[in-house]
Amino acid sequence: MSNAATMRRDAKRRAQRRSQLLYAGIAVGVVILAVLVAVLSTGERDRAVSVDDIAGEPAISGDPLSTLPASGDDPTVGSSAPTVEGADFDGTPVAIGGSGSPELVMFMASWCPACQEELPEVVAWMEAGGVPDGVQLASVATGLDASRPNWPPDAWFEEEGYTGRVLVDDADGSVAQAFGLSATPFWVALDADGQVVARIAGMLDTTQMTALAEAAVASSG
Amino acid sequence: MIAVAERVFALLALVAIVIAVATALALARRRVPDWLRDDVALPLATAIAAVATGGSLLASEVAGYVPCVLCWYQRIAMYPLVIVLGVASARRDSEVWRTALPLSGIGAGIAAWHIAIERWPSLGSEVCDPVAPCALRWVEEFGFLTLPTMALIGFVAIAVLSLAARRSPIHTGREPNPTDTAGSLTDPTSTV
Repeated sequence: MSNAATMRRDAKRRAQRRSQLLYAGIAVGVVILAVLVAVLSTGERDRAVSVDDIAGEPAISGDPLSTLPASGDDPTVGSSAPTVEGADFDGTPVAIGGSGSPELVMFMASWCPACQEELPEVVAWMEAGGVPDGVQLASVATGLDASRPNWPPDAWFEEEGYTGRVLVDDADGSVAQAFGLSATPFWVALDADGQVVARIAGMLDTTQMTALAEAAVASSG
Repeated sequence: MIAVAERVFALLALVAIVIAVATALALARRRVPDWLRDDVALPLATAIAAVATGGSLLASEVAGYVPCVLCWYQRIAMYPLVIVLGVASARRDSEVWRTALPLSGIGAGIAAWHIAIERWPSLGSEVCDPVAPCALRWVEEFGFLTLPTMALIGFVAIAVLSLAARRSPIHTGREPNPTDTAGSLTDPTSTV
């Protein structure tokens, strides 16, 4: 190989290295710029409200229900549900079970997008008078997690215009576990004797809500 | 600190959108510049895969965001791309698109479905798993950049860059270089 060819090849390699350094420099510059912009544009998140600030201390009595199976019959139908004495976000007492009336209980997690879609439906159903007479409706705020979106849950219930009763679960989700929650939203229908009529994991439309509430009334005889 | 990291990754995703669109336009016009094809496309695709991998590990291991099943499927597609593209970049393997495209295509499809479930939970199972729900938006920057959205951008950018790196008369508008016919390994100096 001639010296001229070798020199040309070396020159090409040097030019190539210069190009690679340039591209690498541009990439590093972009990353540094991104970090700078991020630091300057990111504000502190509102995590002033902790789980401990929100969580309740509900008292649970009775045997817990097994977790709702993903498919097939619910083995807990007809068995006694636990009774719970707790409070809402303001500390006002709220109880589930033992009221002597059929009850419809919905477990909601504020971070859950399905719950976020469901709660306005519930509000519209309540405002339209969809809850049958004699049925007590209660929501359980569960899945408390300050690191997840849409925190805190009390602000969410208020923003959505929910005016019904809310029982706040504890930080461990004990009420949800006692009712065998498998996923949110989670519905439990109880008859007047506090026995399980049905449990459903998932979103319900207003017609299904009415049907579930009426099933609780029908089972109450 | 996590919030700053999320913003950094979101900004880099915006940069990746620009890169993907510009590269796609060059491919559509069949005018991929030599510097992009020979020197930039594969290292950039590798960097995007590496940043996406680093971001997903940061999200799960540092921020504590539990990956859902769809996140795992996207990881399965993205993580190998770091090695595949990294090796191809070092070897200047212009044929790596044959591996990178299926991986990024599958990943992009899963990411698109994940985005749809995030936006419309009723499309999916209509429930939230208490531990790792796929509909949960752990991150949402600039109103639209969620984790699967950033993953989708990464997959698309990698796909178009790996296509831009290939030496083909279809996309370059030039006759293939004789040195390319021996296989995927090409002489890096042949087109400079």
